[in-house]
Amino acid sequence: MNITVNGVQHEVESSLLTPLLDVLREELGITGPKAGCHQGGCGACTVLVDGEPRRACLTPVAAVDGAEVTTVEGLGEPDALSPVQTAFHEHYAAQCGFCTSGFVMAAEALRTRSDGDLEREEIIEALSGHLCRCTGYVKIVDAVAAA
Amino acid sequence: MKAVGARLPRYDGVAHVTGRTQYVDDVRVHGTLWCKALRSPHHSALIRSIDTSKAEALPGVHAVVTAKDVPHNVYGHLEGLGVPADEPLLAEDDVRWKGQPIAAVAAESEEAAQAAVDAIEIVFEEREPILDIRSAADPGIDHFHQWGAVYPHFGPHNHRRVRKGDIDTAFEEADLIVEGVYRPQAIEHCPMETQVALAVPEPSGRLVIYSCTQAMYFSMGVVAAHLQWPLNKLKFIGGTVGGGFGGKVDTATETIVSLLALKARRPVKWRYTREEEMLTSSTRAPWHIEIQDAVTNDGWILGRRTLTLHDAGAYARFSPYGVTKHAFHHTGAYTIPHLRFDGFVVFTNRVPTTAMRGFGVTSVSLAVELHMSRVAEQLGLDPLELRLKNANRIGDTTGNRVVMHDPSTVPVVLAAADAAGLELGDEYRAMTPERRSGDLLPEHLVGQQAPDGEYLATYRGATNGGR
Repeated sequence: MNITVNGVQHEVESSLLTPLLDVLREELGITGPKAGCHQGGCGACTVLVDGEPRRACLTPVAAVDGAEVTTVEGLGEPDALSPVQTAFHEHYAAQCGFCTSGFVMAAEALRTRSDGDLEREEIIEALSGHLCRCTGYVKIVDAVAAA
Repeated sequence: MKAVGARLPRYDGVAHVTGRTQYVDDVRVHGTLWCKALRSPHHSALIRSIDTSKAEALPGVHAVVTAKDVPHNVYGHLEGLGVPADEPLLAEDDVRWKGQPIAAVAAESEEAAQAAVDAIEIVFEEREPILDIRSAADPGIDHFHQWGAVYPHFGPHNHRRVRKGDIDTAFEEADLIVEGVYRPQAIEHCPMETQVALAVPEPSGRLVIYSCTQAMYFSMGVVAAHLQWPLNKLKFIGGTVGGGFGGKVDTATETIVSLLALKARRPVKWRYTREEEMLTSSTRAPWHIEIQDAVTNDGWILGRRTLTLHDAGAYARFSPYGVTKHAFHHTGAYTIPHLRFDGFVVFTNRVPTTAMRGFGVTSVSLAVELHMSRVAEQLGLDPLELRLKNANRIGDTTGNRVVMHDPSTVPVVLAAADAAGLELGDEYRAMTPERRSGDLLPEHLVGQQAPDGEYLATYRGATNGGR
């Protein structure tokens, strides 16, 4: 199997049903997506598969053979943040930071498929599968609205 | 003073939004083994036998540890504060809560480690569990804890006490007695990052420990005590915590991965599953709080009797400290001259409870504020005016005899009234935190006022049971 992660093609050795999250973190050493629950409940592992947000922990790697995967590392660099990353940083939308990469990826997908201003209700709907136990939700929604 | 009042960027903000922050689970060390633990399937049971030989013989298994591998197995988190030890790192002759660690395995993969855990042969003899703090001290109960039903080491007492003024006279003189029972429940911290640690043996003989602890030097001391090592053989790397909220003070994983790493001579990592985190990690304690207030028809609280039961779970951990804080805050933001407080740390066969965001204080604050509103309702008074009348003022002394020089009750209640758009009478609207005088210095509060200018606190409750 082959997957392209952040523009780099990788041949995958893990078995077919290995969760994409474990392939990224354990086989390829890409640790931006986090293992918060390994059962699809928290959203911390969210990556983009051909542009769509997916739970990497619930996605068997065989299901994404040949796909383009984007993790948070594939957005901006620390000295050249993407607009969503800039907004998260400037609006203090990260506290402990563990859920942040998942929120950023979901926000990135939302921003890409919408044009113009977003209603707060739309943002909340798009982020509703993500948990932040520091409960910084207001700042996160503010950041996405400003991105 | 460039930072105060300024909006500064978070020092770790760019790393967070780019996924560059390195949490413990993100550290990669070649040759790392995975840890899994054998945990008690019972709330309460004797361990009749344990045999790890089949587990040790499985392919990919590098080390198995039980209580006999721990140089100093029973170590108390608060021994430094005089709280004696009661909890083994790994269970010895009995298990006291469902999920208690008994043995741990280091193997090449998570699957191999779990297979080895499943291969450990253990025989239990189940006991009747104690799960309700209200009946835990009843006559005829067989106590599982060596100290009995309750934690007994509050100075000369088996519970935290506060005694102040003349409580019986206050209740005789009251127009009304207002009673309430309040039961805040357990809460799981549920950090997004589950408990995790990685121990790496160095050729020098030192151990490097990557830890998610909230308390670096505290956890370092706990590991050193269990290993019976000097601190200079441990190198802790931490400070990046994926949420803790108090639940990462207990040093849950660091010592066990250290023991396994030393035995296997390999790096060992333990990352709780989400299920493990929810079922077996410590929680905020459940409480049972009974309050009786002696009050006058015009809204003065003359005296308060409080009985508190704090559910410690199976071991003491930080519970005595939590109950002590609870005792200090049991009058809330209000001045009550006559007090009798009794707070018990009760042992049950539940997961041990621990620190969580103001533990001990939040439970009693909930109870006190609900009770203040109940008093107001029964007297037919405005709940905010009742609070303002009894509010702490400069020069008042708390239940444990601390003199207040900057109490914030009055401005906070006034601000809350404004925020909620509530009306207040003119005399209340004009209140300040200044020293009591006139109508706000009734006879029963005269003795509460420290001499003008006295700022020195006199702590008695902390050291001798608040007698």
